[in-house]
This record gives sequence, C-alpha cells and structure tokens, in this order.
Amino acid sequence: MKIRGVLIEDTFAEAFTMRAARLLITGATPRWAMAAALKLTGFATSVIGCKCEAGIERELLPSDTPDGRPGVSVLFMTMSKDDMPKRLIERVGQTVLTCPTTACFDGLPAAPDRVGVGSALRFFGDGFQASKVISGERYWRVPVMEGEFLVQEKFGMIKAVGGGNFLILARTADAALAAAEAAVDTMAGSPGVFLPFPGGVVRSGSKVGSRRSKTMIASTNDAFCPTLRAVTKSELADGVNSVLEIVINGVDAPSISRAMRAGIDAACRTDVVSISAGNYAGKLGPHHFHLRKIMGEGNGS
Amino acid sequence: MSDRIVLTLRSRPSGSVDASSLALHEWSERSDSDIGRLTVRLAGAGPVALGDLFRIEGGRSSSVRLTGDFTVFEGLGTELAGGDVLIEGNVGDRVGTRMRGGQLTVTGNAAWGAGLEMAGGVLDIGGDAGPRAGGAPLGVKRGMTGGELIVRGNAGMEAGAGMRRGLIAVAGDAGEGAGRTTLAGTVVVFGATGPNPGQWSKRGTIVALGPVTPPATYRYACTYRPQYLAVLLRHLATDRRLPVTGEHLTGSYQRYSGDLAELGAGEILAWTRT
Repeated sequence: MKIRGVLIEDTFAEAFTMRAARLLITGATPRWAMAAALKLTGFATSVIGCKCEAGIERELLPSDTPDGRPGVSVLFMTMSKDDMPKRLIERVGQTVLTCPTTACFDGLPAAPDRVGVGSALRFFGDGFQASKVISGERYWRVPVMEGEFLVQEKFGMIKAVGGGNFLILARTADAALAAAEAAVDTMAGSPGVFLPFPGGVVRSGSKVGSRRSKTMIASTNDAFCPTLRAVTKSELADGVNSVLEIVINGVDAPSISRAMRAGIDAACRTDVVSISAGNYAGKLGPHHFHLRKIMGEGNGS
Repeated sequence: MSDRIVLTLRSRPSGSVDASSLALHEWSERSDSDIGRLTVRLAGAGPVALGDLFRIEGGRSSSVRLTGDFTVFEGLGTELAGGDVLIEGNVGDRVGTRMRGGQLTVTGNAAWGAGLEMAGGVLDIGGDAGPRAGGAPLGVKRGMTGGELIVRGNAGMEAGAGMRRGLIAVAGDAGEGAGRTTLAGTVVVFGATGPNPGQWSKRGTIVALGPVTPPATYRYACTYRPQYLAVLLRHLATDRRLPVTGEHLTGSYQRYSGDLAELGAGEILAWTRT
C-alpha cells in the first residue's frame, strides 16, 4: 500500500491499557490557563521515567468550562489505578494551585471511578479551607495569597490506551522533521488524544531491555538507528537516513485510530520513504493498530 | 399506570389538615382507589380520606399534580424521596419537611417552615416563603442538611436557620436573620438581605447580591472574585432559571468573616458593582 508514493508497511502499533483523567484548567485569561497546563504536562512524556504521561487535548472556550472562563483540557495517564491520585495530587498541587487565577475541574464527570485530588490538596489551606457542594459535586476553596484556589474534590478515571504510534522513515533528517511537524499539526486538537513527547515527536524510540545492562528497562531501538545500520540487524531500507516517531495516547482505541489516520496521511510527503510502527510482536500490549487497516478502513484497532 | 396523578381539591377544608403522612413518592405503586383511601388528619374532624377531599385522576405514577388552595394543608411533601410533585396554588406550613430527594414545585406561596430539615432534592417555591425556610424547627438546632431550596419571591425571617449543608436561593428579599446559627451551607439572596444575616453562624456562606449590612460581629477581609461563585451562579442561572446577570458573574465581592462571636469560619460575600 502506498500513499503519494510513500510505502505504508504491513505492520502494527502495539499499545497498552492505561488509566486516564481529564482536567479542565481555567484561568482569568487563556495565557494563565495555558501556563498551568504547560507546567502540569511538562516532564510527562513516558511512564518509564516520568511516572505519568500527559498532554494538552485542546483549548477551551469560556462556554465549555464550569466557571465560564477560558481553559485548557489536559489528558493525564498513569499505568495503574493506584498511581493516578498520587501523580495528580503532586502535579495539580505544584503547577495549578501555584499558578495565578487558575481553577481545576474534572473533565470526566460520568466516570464511575473517582480519585481524590481536591480532598488532599485542601490541606494546604491549613484548616482555613472550605468546601461547597454544587449540583452534587464537592469543590474545595483553598485560600492563597492571591485570593482563592478552587479545585474539584474528585476526578473521574477511565481505562484508556497509551502507546499508539507510527514511525516516519525518511531520506533526510529535514524531511523526517517536516513530515513529523505536518503530522503533529494535523493531529493537534483531535478529540480524546494527546501526543506526550516534545512537540509531539520522539527521536529516541526504544526497545525493551538492554544488551548490556540488566537494570535498564528500555534502550535505544538500534534496528531503526541509521548510524547503526552496518553493525546491527537493521530494519531500515536503503535510502533511509532518519527516523522519527509519533506517539499517540487516547481515551480509547477509536480516537487513536482516527488521529493516526490523519497524522499518517499528513506525513506522506516528499522524501519520506515509508511509514512503519513500533510493536513487541504483539506480546505485550492488547491494543494493535494495523497501519494498512487504519489507512484503508478508518479504524484499525 | 398513568403519566401523572392529578388531585383537584373539591373545596377548602374548614380546619388545618396534617398531610405529613402522605408519602407522595410511594404513589408510583398506588392506584387511584388506593390513593383515595389514604387519610389525612383534619383538625376537629380526625382522619379524612383523600377521596373525600379531592377528585383523583390517575395512579401508579411518580409524577403528581395537586391543584387548589392548600393554605390550610401542613406538611405536604414531608420526607419526599423521589418523583416530581407539582402543587398549583399556595401551601401551608412545613411543605417539603425532611425532603430527601425528587423535585417539589409550588407555584404559589409557602407559609412557615418550607423545607424544614430538608436533606436532599429540590424544593422550588414560585412565590414567597414564610419564616424559617430551610431552617430548623423551633427548639431544634439542625436545619437543612442538603438539597436545594429555591424561593422565587421573598423569604421570611431566619431562612436557613441552623443549616448544616445545602443551598437556599432567594430571588427576592430575605427577612431578618437569614443563615442564623448555620454550621455550613449557602444562602444566596438576589434582593435585599435583612438585618443580622449569619448571626452566630460557625461556617456557611451568605451571598448578598443586593443590599446587605453585615452584623457588627463580622469583619471585613478583602474584595475579590471567589471562583466558586462563578460555578454556583452559573448553576443557578442555567439549572434553576434565577436572575443571574453577567455583572454577578464577573463582579467583585466584599468578604466579611464571621460570626467572630462564634468560630468565625463563615462569610458574607457582598457583591459590589465596581
């Protein structure tokens, strides 16, 4: 299968079940909502080293938020149920509570699994905090030097999918980067997904384990490193000199499939040789996104 | 089974009627003849069957409509736990007492003690409410512990007295002593708030969108925009159709802490136009 001359390899992306929360961060202006969201989602590229994965889903209009102010929707993922409250409390406490004018609301009100966030952060109020119940939801008002920080007591948590991906194999590094940027720009704002890596792009795809160290749980994906073509069992075709990966996390598999389809299509540009995907031969993750099926049928999970 | 049960009062009873035993939320299991056999206590006459007082249409429905002048009926909707009850007309004392769920709407006025010790659901009064709406019975400490009481007219004295939780919203004016001795909860007054609001309250919030004079035992803290009020007022505008304006949403509020004769963790938030 080829799209505008770019080979779509007959392979699949292998993804994992994770847990996700959606946070709606509002502020007096879009600037401050975004400032908090950027800090909250910083250093959240991979659970391997960051303990969580997070990204901005989309910007919100005042009409989309509980307090009628501009906001940002953030998706936040962890590997296990138990990790979620810990990570949320750390991050909301350090990045949203601290940010001028912001408030933090649950974006998954229908989720039956609830994790306490405001219920823990309230203790920053040192006994001066107050709670209010509005429409059956409890909010905490924590006094701060600026005025008051408002945070919902509990946040919904759902099963989600982490690790959807595709690889862009190109003749030059410039071509790979241009294709990756085009893919990211196309996928930006896709509902229910986020791209956890810097600018949405990964240059250091990994394989499980390490040749040299038993303690390393991941190391460089040598089969896709152009500089190692001569010394390893390379997966790269002739003419490929640079590879970039796009990782896509989402609230469900169809959301990831839709984003992958749009992103792959945008990445099929001049000097891109092929589109591939990372997997572990289907042994680790339950979610398989077959590239050709996605590009042909729209839903490849 | 019918869409709605309709009770039409044949004529106003001569004395007061204690209707607190009616358990309206259980009518979804009762036929019209079952309902007709239920009794209320008429002062001076003892038990009287509903069939003698009302024309009854329909049965086995969670939607109930009562029409007529119910000013002598006391305790209508007591301990309501679910369903949708519409009372077309004025009602007497203690409507919606200890209500736990559902929606109880009164199109007219309610007398003393509407929503007394209410714990859940929505009690919506289209006209005025008498004294102690959402409050505690006399001699009792604990008032409303949950739910929402909406008064679209004015509220009498001591609305929300002894409140522990819940929300009271008054579209008109509130009489003297609103939110007296509250432990928590919120009273929102769109009109004028009468003298001595929040007196002897430990916690709890009074939101005054009209004129208010905090008691001497409250102390001014600051002028700010409490973000939770944006959430609360949007709820009242959208879900309860109360007259919230854009200025209420974006305006600043003077915060007074009190009652300092008590715990002092309560507040009066007085809206300011500037």
